[in-house]
Amino acid sequence: MSYSNLSIAAIRAGLATRQFSAEELVQDALNTINIRDKVIHAFIELCPELAYRAAEKLDAALSAGEAPPLLAGATIGYKDNMNLEGTHTTCASKMLENYKSPFTATCVTKTLEAGALPLGKLNMDEFAFGSSTETSYFGCTHNPWDLERVPGGSSGGSAAAVAAGMVTVALGSDTGGSIRQPASFCGVVGFKPTYGVISRYGVVGFGSSLDQAGVFGRSVANVAETIDAMSGKDPLDCMSQDAHAVYSSSVGAGVKGMRIGIVRSYVDADGISPEIHNALEDAISKLESLGAVITEVELPNAKAALSAYHVIGPCEAFSNLSRFDGIRYGYLSPNARNLDELYEQSRAQGFGAEARRRIMLGSYLLSSGIYEQYYLPAQKVRTLITQDYHQVFEQVDALLTPTTARTAFKFGEIADPVSMYLSDIFTIPINIAGNGGMSLPVGLGEESGLPVSVQVIGPQFKDENIFRVAAALEACYPDIARIAPDTSGTQQASQAGGSAQDSQVGGSGQSSPQGESAQASPEGGAA
Amino acid sequence: MKDLLKVLQTWEAVIGLEVHTELTTLNTKMFCSCPVEFGAEPNTLICPVCLGLPGALPVPNKAAIESIILAGIATNCDIEQQTMFYRKNYFYPDISSNFQITQGPVAFCMRGWLDLNITEPAASEREYREGTTELPASYASSGYTTRINITRIHMEEDAGKLVHIGGTDGRITGADYSLVDYNRCSTPLIELVTEPDLRTPEEARLFLQSLRQIWLTLGISDCSMEEGSLRCDGNVSLRKRGAKELGTKTELKNMNSFKNLHDGLAYEICRQADVLESGGRVVQETRHWEPASKHTVSMRLKETADDYRYFPEPNLAPYDLSDEFVAEVRSRLPELPDEQRARFMEVYALSFIDASALASDRDVASFFDEGMAFAAAQAQELAKPFTNLLLNDVLASLNTSGHVLAETKLTPAHLVELAQLIAKDTLSSKQGKEVFAHMLKTGEAPAQIVEKEGMQQVSDTAALEQIALEILKEFPDKAAEYRSGKTGLLGFFVGKAMAATKGQGNPKLINETFIRLLDGE
Repeated sequence: MSYSNLSIAAIRAGLATRQFSAEELVQDALNTINIRDKVIHAFIELCPELAYRAAEKLDAALSAGEAPPLLAGATIGYKDNMNLEGTHTTCASKMLENYKSPFTATCVTKTLEAGALPLGKLNMDEFAFGSSTETSYFGCTHNPWDLERVPGGSSGGSAAAVAAGMVTVALGSDTGGSIRQPASFCGVVGFKPTYGVISRYGVVGFGSSLDQAGVFGRSVANVAETIDAMSGKDPLDCMSQDAHAVYSSSVGAGVKGMRIGIVRSYVDADGISPEIHNALEDAISKLESLGAVITEVELPNAKAALSAYHVIGPCEAFSNLSRFDGIRYGYLSPNARNLDELYEQSRAQGFGAEARRRIMLGSYLLSSGIYEQYYLPAQKVRTLITQDYHQVFEQVDALLTPTTARTAFKFGEIADPVSMYLSDIFTIPINIAGNGGMSLPVGLGEESGLPVSVQVIGPQFKDENIFRVAAALEACYPDIARIAPDTSGTQQASQAGGSAQDSQVGGSGQSSPQGESAQASPEGGAA
Repeated sequence: MKDLLKVLQTWEAVIGLEVHTELTTLNTKMFCSCPVEFGAEPNTLICPVCLGLPGALPVPNKAAIESIILAGIATNCDIEQQTMFYRKNYFYPDISSNFQITQGPVAFCMRGWLDLNITEPAASEREYREGTTELPASYASSGYTTRINITRIHMEEDAGKLVHIGGTDGRITGADYSLVDYNRCSTPLIELVTEPDLRTPEEARLFLQSLRQIWLTLGISDCSMEEGSLRCDGNVSLRKRGAKELGTKTELKNMNSFKNLHDGLAYEICRQADVLESGGRVVQETRHWEPASKHTVSMRLKETADDYRYFPEPNLAPYDLSDEFVAEVRSRLPELPDEQRARFMEVYALSFIDASALASDRDVASFFDEGMAFAAAQAQELAKPFTNLLLNDVLASLNTSGHVLAETKLTPAHLVELAQLIAKDTLSSKQGKEVFAHMLKTGEAPAQIVEKEGMQQVSDTAALEQIALEILKEFPDKAAEYRSGKTGLLGFFVGKAMAATKGQGNPKLINETFIRLLDGE
């Protein structure tokens, strides 16, 4: 029996009625990972001891008659920029290859306290710089729907782990789309809340004013419950706030009478794939039929968001990454003869190309004389964009936009960094403004066979609106597959598959016992 | 090299100070809950936040913000209610995240000032006193008053400490390796920057002393220059008297005492004058004051300005301090040393020198105030003798013993009592000193000591006259010599009388009695 397609609510119910134990859930998940991650390579590190210890504790509590907590038995993986004591926090960089954090991130702690079972740390673009997970020092993660394609990024490992059914939910971080874009590529729900809803304490900073932790799941309800467990003011992150919302209670509330905005220039944008265009039109008509009021709105300054982002992001990243110098921890060049060489060599050798590019860019943009030309105007642009969203959300309760212009691309297909930066054009403005956004899968493209998604955006600290819209839409597409079929036995992995064709293939890969691809309904009874 | 006073006749020294104060009286660091402590084992007062570990975030210490607002109010600054923290980026091992959280163009406190009263002999360093005011006659001392403008006071975090092993004197040059102690990292620090309004090393010293007294009165720091909780750098340049344009400045470091501040600046002024007078030019650089050899040495050239890539700290929201918050902090402002001194002069008619001396030490000033409270109706009358006891006998004894006031057995009430006994002539001043020595030793009340030791001064005129007559009878020839003009013999008679009263006769009365008896008839 496999549990990988169960919703959080179903797992909770199963544990409460003793249909299975937490220990069995861990065993099953590790088994699935053992089979599927050979070719997908979502995990950088597994932590079975922590998982079994958490399961033991949970089983003991349940045996003692305690009610299962919110995330009881949900298997979970964490993006490898999130500190979890007892594991490495590598940020997928050579710089932190051997770094173990002495403390655990608040958002991680909260999931553990809510009964989630930690399976390991997930691959990502190095320090979250990228949109494909190709910049990871530990190799690429493969898109479970097509192993020759990227999972998106930077939280590619998190998206792929959920799409392959290796975990119930995964945490990621989103600075310019790093949750929503890979969620879109991998056909899972990916949610970045309003900046401040989830503590950033213990999540390694990239662009501190843009970074926000969030969740990947195979249903809106799973994501809502995980956010419920993690959100709230953290005294250790003074930018965090109480949103005073129970997101799971918005799931199923319907959209009747809700005003939903669409940006016509987005839906009809040049370069948007017909599959995505059609999916958006279809979603609009479905929402309308559910009683939502569709309104066309404008975001006149949003086009400048990309430029502002690629100034503010590198500036903050340059400074945040200054601490990695090899002196206290991290990669230390063995050949340095003095302090300057120690800095130069450790950082030149410890950081990958994209990290070096952004550090140099930020260092340049902040230098005196240049700062006034770029950073200050970028902050002004940021204010204008934020005002745009404020005005729009006076007219509507949520926005429906594309997450990405196209579906997942192939490895190496986008080699030019600027083209790569452009793949986040629909997600970046939301980080600039600080609002929440969710990528929601609406099916596989007829032509591409790849997941197609839309994005729902809400007013600041009104993320419950997003859950209402997303849950209603999700219910309109009951037949879409939630777990990518296991192709480890039939399709050769292009890069990570070297050892994948061993005994595992005959053992269970071929039989694909779960038959997830045929799964016919959104998970669990909650939907 | 010429001496300072001579140099200052030709050249005007233009001095600005940067004063760093660690807020040592706070319980916790600037952005985390590690304790603020001096002298702990290295790297024991640290946590992920002050170590700058990946993922850790700063949370500002509210009490530190209150301290800097209080400091700003006490130094007449405008309080900027809308301000924010910035990052100053630079690589050095003592700063764990390779950026320091500090402030940008707008600090919490801007545009303040302090007035300095410079008395002789310190005033003589400024022979030319443009822009100053003569001290009022009531100050009983000649000198001048000058206003020193304060550019700003900003909040920041301190760096850790490098310990260089294997070199000489703990200096980095020649060291084999260096260790880093992060205990001090992120200790709350306020940096005060003055305008270049100071003109003499004495003004600089007095400014720093006044500032220290203010900080101590506010209770925001222990201000120990020795332990580095109060640190001062000086910027100094010279220009010809009457010239408007500023000369090239040097930055002076390692002036870790008031004397070093004065002597370092004095040396640097003379050095620059030497350079300029021999046709050279002053190089903009940082120089290190070496107190042992009494000269400054170049640390590094500052041809190009460092680029610290300042930008707003994205982990901390900008401040918008409420009026109520600022008003609440303002309501905690204690009486400041200058106000206290003015009160001592006005209420107790003390001299400027005495009042300044009392107000210069918080403990002494509050001892004085407590004493005056005990003196009650007699306060006006006892203020001067009480001040004399406090500033002379008490401070001398503290100097000898190395104790602070609170560690002695003295109480304000007892000292007032002693002043009273002396003022009423119950005790001679010599007896007063003996009683004081007893008080220090036993902590007993003066009256108790006087009684136990039988030290009442004999001021009974009749009794003293009887004794005097007996002495004159005993030494008729001496009396005759006196009467024939050898008046120096008066001391001889008084000495005899003092011996006869076992030292308890009132010397003034005895004197008068002899004069009356010998000259009278």
